[in-house]
Amino acid sequence: MNKKLEDVLLTQPKRAKYYITAAVLVLAMLIWSSSALNQMHVTSKGLSIGWNILEGIITPDTTLLFGGGDSGVAYLILQTISIAFLGTIVGAFIAVPLSFISATNIVPKPIVVITRFVIMAIRTVPSLVYGLMFIRVTGPGPFAGVMTLAVVSIGMISKLFIETIEDLDSGILESLDAAGSTLFQKIRYGVLPQLSSDFISILAYRFDMNLREATILGLVGAGGIGAPMIFAMSGYEWHKVGAILIGLFILIFVIEYLSDKLRQYLLHG
Amino acid sequence: MIKFEHVSKVYPNGVKGLQDINLEIEDGEFVGIIGMSGAGKSTFIRTINRLNSITEGKLTVDNIEISHLKGKELRRFRRKVGMIFQSYNLVPRISVIRNVMSSLVPDMSMWRVALGLFSKEDKIRALEALDRVSMLDKSFVRTDQLSGGQQQRVSLARTLAQNPSVLLADEPVAALDPVTAREVMDDFKRINEELGQTVLINIHHVDLALDYAKRIIGIRAGRVVYDGPVAGVTQEILDQIYAKSEGENNEVV
Amino acid sequence: MRWYDKLFKPKKFTLTNGKTVSQKFTRAPLILLLLLVVLIISVVVTGFSLPTLFTNFTQFWIVFADLFPPKWSYFPSVWQPLIDTIKMSFFGSFFGALCALPLAILSANNVTNSRVVNLVARFVLTIMRTLPTLVAALIATYIFGLGTFAGTVAIFIFSMSFVGKQLFEYIETVNMGAYEALIATGANAPRSFVTTIFPQILPTYLSTSLFAFEGNVRYAAILGYVGAGGIGMILNQKIGWREFQSVGMILVSLFVAVVLIETLSQQLRKYLS
Repeated sequence: MNKKLEDVLLTQPKRAKYYITAAVLVLAMLIWSSSALNQMHVTSKGLSIGWNILEGIITPDTTLLFGGGDSGVAYLILQTISIAFLGTIVGAFIAVPLSFISATNIVPKPIVVITRFVIMAIRTVPSLVYGLMFIRVTGPGPFAGVMTLAVVSIGMISKLFIETIEDLDSGILESLDAAGSTLFQKIRYGVLPQLSSDFISILAYRFDMNLREATILGLVGAGGIGAPMIFAMSGYEWHKVGAILIGLFILIFVIEYLSDKLRQYLLHG
Repeated sequence: MIKFEHVSKVYPNGVKGLQDINLEIEDGEFVGIIGMSGAGKSTFIRTINRLNSITEGKLTVDNIEISHLKGKELRRFRRKVGMIFQSYNLVPRISVIRNVMSSLVPDMSMWRVALGLFSKEDKIRALEALDRVSMLDKSFVRTDQLSGGQQQRVSLARTLAQNPSVLLADEPVAALDPVTAREVMDDFKRINEELGQTVLINIHHVDLALDYAKRIIGIRAGRVVYDGPVAGVTQEILDQIYAKSEGENNEVV
Repeated sequence: MRWYDKLFKPKKFTLTNGKTVSQKFTRAPLILLLLLVVLIISVVVTGFSLPTLFTNFTQFWIVFADLFPPKWSYFPSVWQPLIDTIKMSFFGSFFGALCALPLAILSANNVTNSRVVNLVARFVLTIMRTLPTLVAALIATYIFGLGTFAGTVAIFIFSMSFVGKQLFEYIETVNMGAYEALIATGANAPRSFVTTIFPQILPTYLSTSLFAFEGNVRYAAILGYVGAGGIGMILNQKIGWREFQSVGMILVSLFVAVVLIETLSQQLRKYLS
């Protein structure tokens, strides 16, 4: 082979070693973690329950699915949406000031480190633990659910808010400066219009996520569609489970669609 | 009238932005400022409305010495001096007219500002400014749906709405394609001729500067190396401004 | 919205030079009204009340204070469930991400050129994504029995749907030029995919999978609540027995583990992009 080509070939980065190490590491992790599968007890009873759930979805309890009143799926859905909506609003109220004091272009670095640590800590506590704590404040029921979702939302909302605030186009502020605006006028016409549509879009996204969370709050007695489902399951009432699951699917699907549409509109007009 | 007397500007990090500038610009002139990037064109223009403060000398605009202005006086002075930026600096997700009206805000009462209530006169004023740059039909469109040239026109309209007597433009057409750039330059020319506003434009396209401006100021390393009518700009002078002799590969467009 | 414009006439402006422009009547009042109605309904339905919140909020701090100081001696009993949680997350995320790849390919209509296949694959992804993970875990405990396996299944389902959706949306935005060039040289579709499209999507694929893994560790912590194994089991137990200092210890361990894994994974993702 031509000497020059050979030299070039030798300079080709050697990544094989690196790939092999990565593969071995992942494989080792897999073997190590495979013990998670040990606790499997598939019994014929389990399989028949699986079938029963499928059958329940195909033949749901129609009086529950279409029924009115406090125990009907329609009301449960309304309650779940309400919890998610109010939770998002309350969460946003807490997250907005928190985001401003965590943005590097607004406050000095040491404060940012502290506030971000606080946000991270708030984010780690599982939602169900908050649920149990808030039940002590508000008593069991949807109110506790609202507060739980509010606190759970803070982490993600402020993380995305901070990004938006740090992305502010300072050129607009300079233009307003050149036109002779005061600080207040700059905030009102330079900062707020830049932030508002991003903020709303973030909230729409979080509302979508809160709805999923709201469906499981029932586990700790914090309202929503989750509680009746668990009761139905522990009572082996599969047709009721089916009815609730269908309601759940429709609810999440529709809200996700609407939230996507709203965000598309806000971001691209 | 804008008057520079021994004006110098040294940045806090020691970089000399401007060195001993002496010149006068009469009302209604159309001035093109040319020079390499980093030569001090932007600094020159930005000292006039004090986005940059000068460190030495005297700079007067309409007989007001602007380095003495503070707070409210400075803001009132800036109402008379409009500025247009290369990056348009418009809020993308609100309507065109709201962007234009944002320059009217300093003249409004506090509660109207807070609630964003604009009077009918304000709206008419904004619409007339938009009409002047032929953007009337886009008034209620969201700003991010416009092309670059259209956005620069909106930015021009925003400045016109505040009815300034001096227009400063910092590389207004640098981000635009040649055809659009000429359209925007036509707008500047028309405004200068019809309304008699003084126009100062920083521009790195020499041919555009020569076609539109009546007076050229060439800046190199913070000093004025040419100041005179367009007709007097020779290849020799351009070479001097753009320092071809030093063997650098600066493309003069 | 035509009915709205009919009801509220657009405003007309006449300029001094005689030109007229009309502005549609603002939508703001309609949107505000809608928001207000939704807000009122939500407050009524959920029984939200600020006075209750303010008078009783001390209760929250009382429970919170009970968590401190964490009972350090309890840590040895936290270790095993914590490791179980990480194992569940890793195993579930890995296989979820693995199975997401073929589903994503089948869903993307620029690679799989069949409307029917696209729709079926996307339907599967949507159904799995719509199912809340905890509900999936609950159902899994009924079928597979209590324990970590049920949790792994729930995490598997979530990862597969999440990575699958992100990936197929990304595949559809990929540059197809190289793929077509290779097809033009006579290569078959799978080979062209592997050599031209796969390298383009690989960084995003790995990065999304890691992101799912991060979230899963956090999420796996509550799966134990329905008996699906891991740290949530002891969390549930200790809350039930009101041993709040042990709960505090569990939360602290979880916090440290989550921070470690997130930092590591974020570094890896930064490296990938």
